[in-house]
Amino acid sequence: MESIRIAAAGAALMVVAAACGGGGSSSGNTKISFLTHWGPEQVKALEAAATAFEKANPGISVDIRAVPFGNLLSTLRTQGASPSGPTIASIYDLWLPELVRDGLAAPMPQDAAGKLTAGWPANLVEGVTKQGSPRGYPNEVDLYALNYNKKLFAQAGIAEPPKTWDELEAAAAKLSGNGKQGFGVITSWPAGSVHPWLSLVTSNGGQLLDGNTPKLDDPKTLAAAQLYAKLVISGSTKPEMSNANANTTGPYLDNFVNGKTGMIIMANWWQSALKDAMGDKYQDVGVAPIPVGPQGSKSAPVSYSWLTIVNGKADQPRQQAAWKFLDYLNGSASGMGGSSAIGDILSSMGILPSSNADLKAHAAADSDPFLAGYIKELPNAVPFPSVLGGEAMSQAVQKHLESVVFGKETPEAAMSAAQKEASDILTKAGA
Amino acid sequence: MSVAGRGRGAAAVAFLSPAMLVIGLFTVVPIGLTFWISLHDWSMYTALGDMAWRGLDNYAGLLADSSFYNALANTAIYVALVVVVTVPLSIALGMLLYFPRVAGKGLVRAALFSTYVIPTVAISIVWGGLYAPEYGPLSQLFGAWHPTWLSAPDTALVSLVIFHLWQMTGYYTVLVIAGLTQIPGDLYEAARIDGAGLWRQTLHVTLPLLRRTTIFIGLVAIINAIQVFDPVYILTQGGPAESTTVLSFAIQRAAFQHGLAGQASAMAFSLLLLLVALGGAFLAVVRRRSA
Repeated sequence: MESIRIAAAGAALMVVAAACGGGGSSSGNTKISFLTHWGPEQVKALEAAATAFEKANPGISVDIRAVPFGNLLSTLRTQGASPSGPTIASIYDLWLPELVRDGLAAPMPQDAAGKLTAGWPANLVEGVTKQGSPRGYPNEVDLYALNYNKKLFAQAGIAEPPKTWDELEAAAAKLSGNGKQGFGVITSWPAGSVHPWLSLVTSNGGQLLDGNTPKLDDPKTLAAAQLYAKLVISGSTKPEMSNANANTTGPYLDNFVNGKTGMIIMANWWQSALKDAMGDKYQDVGVAPIPVGPQGSKSAPVSYSWLTIVNGKADQPRQQAAWKFLDYLNGSASGMGGSSAIGDILSSMGILPSSNADLKAHAAADSDPFLAGYIKELPNAVPFPSVLGGEAMSQAVQKHLESVVFGKETPEAAMSAAQKEASDILTKAGA
Repeated sequence: MSVAGRGRGAAAVAFLSPAMLVIGLFTVVPIGLTFWISLHDWSMYTALGDMAWRGLDNYAGLLADSSFYNALANTAIYVALVVVVTVPLSIALGMLLYFPRVAGKGLVRAALFSTYVIPTVAISIVWGGLYAPEYGPLSQLFGAWHPTWLSAPDTALVSLVIFHLWQMTGYYTVLVIAGLTQIPGDLYEAARIDGAGLWRQTLHVTLPLLRRTTIFIGLVAIINAIQVFDPVYILTQGGPAESTTVLSFAIQRAAFQHGLAGQASAMAFSLLLLLVALGGAFLAVVRRRSA
């Protein structure tokens, strides 16, 4: 019973750690730590910023800890409540409600909240505000768009990317054949599976939640599942080309970069993966708004963000030091050419920064045709609902959506079952 | 009790204490703690003392949860396939590598066993590439059948079983060979004198005397198969369409992704009870047959 032993030994160790763990603010030196999922290059940049901060703020030392994305949440769960746990953490906004409920996401001090309100777009400030207080600095913003292979489009005689679902179906059919699929979907990865599909739902005037009530059996939502079923039945989408692995790479990505997939809906962060994998062929990638459904009026891609929070379980001196470091990290003094250090780090990954100053400082880089296609859609973006139980709900939707893709359920049965499961999950979570 | 008896008792306590301490600390306490957590609601973000009491609600919730039954069914299929294929295959390979007097047997044994030594995480990534649809080597090799491997619900679990067989069969084969070395050679000689051919020797000498090894392999294969986690986590994340969500993955997902440590502990403890019951029934049947 390895799983029992691991889970319980972890819990037992937490108890021991809680009992033995030392504070981080003894002998006049306040030690804080920053937990992130970023790669080695970005961690190096973060460490450089931390070193500069330490020089300007004697008595505070910053330790940067990095874990793979897949381990970030489990690291937070096992270390978050410990006195030696991370003082600052970079988190996916879907996790925020639970962290706020359990006291791990401390409310922002008033002066920092004031700077946040003045320096960030209002919808992002609203996204990080829970129980009346902002809980951290938004940094990374991701949204979805239609990515397409311009070379395959030219070969198929398609002049421009599809603007509507009808055009999407027609283009996908023309692009399919000879081992190629016209429109790719993603499976075995909750966000990769649900977000692109939900972008079609929201572009059809639908929504995932109305308040805390799921709207999965709404006709506008059901229509997107029916579209998937039609694409699969017509052979324009090949389910066996859709798989993702734990690294959020795998066949779905390979098929697009190798010119086997004509179109796919993906987020802006995968730009660096495309560049690395495609080389010169990256020039073939085009970006277009999400095609609009028959009941929709405009393209409305799903968006989500990441934010940096301060651990509410840390002692007050460490919390204060952490907010001070975040203020520095998100301010223009830490970066280059008016940008913050965070803005520079995000930009180096091809990710959109979020503060007004960073957006201005990186305007030139953001004019890159790939990113520009996403930035243009930012005003229409619909944030993925961040509610208690959101992660479990998302995985319930994923399960039924994949059942549609693989022909295991009809769209009607799948959405009806997903509606029930999502309602149960949210009720149980107390959303 | 005599002085000698008391001395022996004290020595037994002294010798057993370190082992009992380790077992108690790392096995009994965690299992007890898991059961305690399973009676509560806990996200793992708070101290153990702040858990909310739920009594047996987590267990009742499991009984009404279709995802739990799906994970249970996937685990049962996985275990059944692994045991049904692994045990006979290991015995056959073990005999083939033990009896014939041919050169290179040691090399083949080492090659078979090496798959067991390679870390599962590393080799899972390699198998992900081998299984890649269309362009993967295995897909190219069996191209005529258009295999979907990990990319379709109908084949994903079986593909994980194939990976398990590749990784573990060498280990079980070595155990079989060790068991074969314990069978006295004069029994075969007597059988041959009585006119028994290869088939009858196998049926009436080898297999009966290999019984204990076979039972051990069967039990270890069941336990290893039930604990499968790494390839599921790395290659499929339980998908597509939940077709590879086994209990260990469901437990991990509930605890670490959904923050439902109470529910996850209830699943883990139920699995423990199930394992104990299955193992007990298996051994009881074996003992009855032996008697």
